[in-house]
Amino acid sequence: MTATVTPTLLVASIGEMVFSSSPDSSLVAYGLGSCVALAAWDPSSRVGGLAHFMLPSGPSNGSGPVKFIDGGLDNFLKALEARGAASSRIILKAAGAASMLAIGGGLAIGTRNAEMMQAGLAERGLRLTAGALGGTAGRTVQLEVGDGRFIVKSLSTITEL
Amino acid sequence: MTTLALSEAGETVVASTFSRAMQRAGEALASMSGQAIVVKTPMLRRCSAADVVAMAGGPEAVVAAVYVGVKGSLQGHALLLLSPTDAHRLAQILLTGLLGPGESPAGAPSDPLIFDELELSAVQEAGNVTISAFLNELGMHLHEPVQPTPPQIVIEMAGAILDGVLMDLMSTVDQVLAARTTFTEGGREIDGTLLVLPRPDSLPVLLDALGAIGI
Repeated sequence: MTATVTPTLLVASIGEMVFSSSPDSSLVAYGLGSCVALAAWDPSSRVGGLAHFMLPSGPSNGSGPVKFIDGGLDNFLKALEARGAASSRIILKAAGAASMLAIGGGLAIGTRNAEMMQAGLAERGLRLTAGALGGTAGRTVQLEVGDGRFIVKSLSTITEL
Repeated sequence: MTTLALSEAGETVVASTFSRAMQRAGEALASMSGQAIVVKTPMLRRCSAADVVAMAGGPEAVVAAVYVGVKGSLQGHALLLLSPTDAHRLAQILLTGLLGPGESPAGAPSDPLIFDELELSAVQEAGNVTISAFLNELGMHLHEPVQPTPPQIVIEMAGAILDGVLMDLMSTVDQVLAARTTFTEGGREIDGTLLVLPRPDSLPVLLDALGAIGI
């Protein structure tokens, strides 16, 4: 008798985070532009998480848990730890922070998101082991919980980080 | 956290004005393309970021988007969205009109995501004319001009395109007011979506001008 396992796809929409410890799960964030998706995977507990951050900073009341990078990073890390992942072991990868349209003046929001992500992780003694940040291309990202592969797709390329 | 101070009655007034403005936008597109354009009844609703992306076809839907920022007393963003195939068709209609007798436009590309400069320019101008017609009508109700920024065209995933727009709108709110309509050009089956997103902090200007405050 053969057991059939149905892979699970969990989607992190804007301002949302998803987690899984099931090896058949994929965590996905579709159509990233200036937003940043942060993937975390603990190779020991095999817990994975994906957060879809929207903005570098802002008020925390009434917003999604990871709408803002400054307040949302702790929410994401705490939720990971609650599921058995250890901050000392997690492998962090990120993608997004592109600049698609020239909107308003000043520094592009994608650039500010990338900077806030790097700074926020550094403040917590963490760093990205791989990233696809910046540029002008939209991206869809997928974290394979079974083995920690982080796949970044654009309209013209598929890259594994 | 700012909330949208708009009653149902106020929303109806805004919807009615947006409907007229979107009708003007459709007429402008019809005039430019020389084709009959049907403007479907516009929809106006309060949306989360994910809702707005869904209105554009979903985060991974690849679209040709013409973006125009809105400046002046009313601020916000407007986009004309087309599937790449329909953008090619629209460009073909526009460029055929511009070509001399006996000349043919370039054939359909093997990759629908590839546009030549002439096609991009044609679609961008169609978007500019359409959105400008919408804004001109809106400006008449506001009794002062609403100023468009220069148009930009981008072929990308809808979610990626809208990210920057949503970030501009949603730093202090979790919902925005979004207006959407669909244009259909019957003969060649071109569907386009006009998406208009006013900045929440400039909504009082719009509501005041339309007499929609306090109703």
